[in-house]
Amino acid sequence: MRKSPFNTILSGLLIAVMTVWLAVPFGMALLWSLVDPSQAWSYPDILPPKLSFERWSLMWDSTSLPIAMFNSYSLAPMAGVGAVLLAMPTAYAFGRLEFKGKAVWQTLVLVPLIMPGFVTAIFFASLLFSMGFFARYPAILVGHVVMLLPYAVRILSVSFSLVRQDVVNAARDLGASPISVFRVAYLPVLKPGIFAAFLIVFILSIEEFALAFVVGSPDFTTIPTILYSYLGYNFIRPNAAVVALILVVPNVILMLILERLLQSANPAGISGKG
Amino acid sequence: MRNAIRIGLLLAPGVGLVLAFMGAVLYRAVAQAFGLYDFSGTSDGLSLAHWQDVLTTKRFWRAFQWSAYIAASSAVIAVALAYPIALWLRKPFRGSLILSAMLKAPLLVPGLVAAFLLVNVISYHGFVNEFLVWAGVWAEPRRMQNDSNGFAIIGLQVWKQMPFAFLLLSGAVQAIPDPVLNAAQDLGAGKFARFRKIILPLTTKAMQAALVLIFIGAAGDFSFQTVAGPPSVNSMASYMASLQGSEGDWNGAAVVAVMLMALSLFGAIGLTALVQLITRTLGRLA
Repeated sequence: MRKSPFNTILSGLLIAVMTVWLAVPFGMALLWSLVDPSQAWSYPDILPPKLSFERWSLMWDSTSLPIAMFNSYSLAPMAGVGAVLLAMPTAYAFGRLEFKGKAVWQTLVLVPLIMPGFVTAIFFASLLFSMGFFARYPAILVGHVVMLLPYAVRILSVSFSLVRQDVVNAARDLGASPISVFRVAYLPVLKPGIFAAFLIVFILSIEEFALAFVVGSPDFTTIPTILYSYLGYNFIRPNAAVVALILVVPNVILMLILERLLQSANPAGISGKG
Repeated sequence: MRNAIRIGLLLAPGVGLVLAFMGAVLYRAVAQAFGLYDFSGTSDGLSLAHWQDVLTTKRFWRAFQWSAYIAASSAVIAVALAYPIALWLRKPFRGSLILSAMLKAPLLVPGLVAAFLLVNVISYHGFVNEFLVWAGVWAEPRRMQNDSNGFAIIGLQVWKQMPFAFLLLSGAVQAIPDPVLNAAQDLGAGKFARFRKIILPLTTKAMQAALVLIFIGAAGDFSFQTVAGPPSVNSMASYMASLQGSEGDWNGAAVVAVMLMALSLFGAIGLTALVQLITRTLGRLA
């Protein structure tokens, strides 16, 4: 550890700036969500005249928020399980086998990450339209699984490469069946990776907007699409504040759990969320 | 042979599925841009008519330039801010861990929420206005939302993407072994010489990756543009979505999609080459 007054002062200053950078926006969102519908908060009041949870219960009772939450929170775990199951064989090949063209395949699996989200969304919708497929829930689920597969493949490839061959061999030598080998040699090492892959797909599925917005239009809602509806032409700030907090708070908690699981400083680096 | 089949079977549900899906989507976009799958039913043969329609409108070129401008500025500013911080935090000191955790925090915030938070802070009744009026700097609140220079969007992109650039760059900076830097110092290299002869060449790849990924993300932006951008201009994604959504012009939207992908590709190549050029030029300086 270096100790220099310059570093201490500069980092103290930056920490203060970052607190403002983060605390002010979130503080304002929280205040806006607590503005009582009976008394508007307008200029020049520095603080809302009356605070209550009225807006939260109003949102819950009179908007499609519960449906949106049901959609988001049921799509996300299914997308997570789907992506993890589909990623496993590929991750095994990437993590444990050597073959021709491996590097090319490893790059190709990342294609969904560089394709603009709205291009994917609109032309996936076009395909569905041609096929006469109008069931939006399964369509969005398939879209989420495929678009988020690269994350699961990347995380699980690393996990598979960490499994020690001598443990696998030892289990085999002791006469373990393939299932037992998987259970004793692979599973303990893979477990954190499986959870991490599931969680990252879960989080990103909850936050995904383009596909849910385009494929789900006009009336299939998820939490981000309902937030967008309050930010667009009919900008209703307190409602948007409530939905924004509902979207962000659980995901931040999940991200912190993910950080623990990966035991590295940057789960966000793997997710590259944008 | 058996091995190849085995590998193929293992890759099929992962890479195979991704490639089939993305390939179908990409084919669809290109085919629709050239007149195939015309939902309006007017024609269904190969044609360049949709290109002519879209590329001759002012609105399209305005969107194209706008997205290029936003993407390039955001990428350059985010990397320019992240680079010195990554260098500074290369060796841990008291407070540096908290600091890097805080720097990474915006990555946890979804784009739409970030846009809402910013609009909230800079709005007529937002914190910035209230604070400046309270401090006596301004006599009354000013309108800052949806500014025509796109500063709000660039600010949002930087807020959101700077941590990402920081992660990539700090990874690269931390991977430089101390003995290399010490050796250079022993041989009499000053701070600047060490920077341009060792640190810069060893971090070029990370810098290029950060610039390219931020550029591609910002070029395809829809939510920041529609929430915080000026109403008079479209981004490529918002133009594409409005052609498809409100005008039902799938083929026109496809032309915009292909042009958006071209913009991402050429922007990425341009930025990569630029970094290469700067690194080489600085390296050659005596």
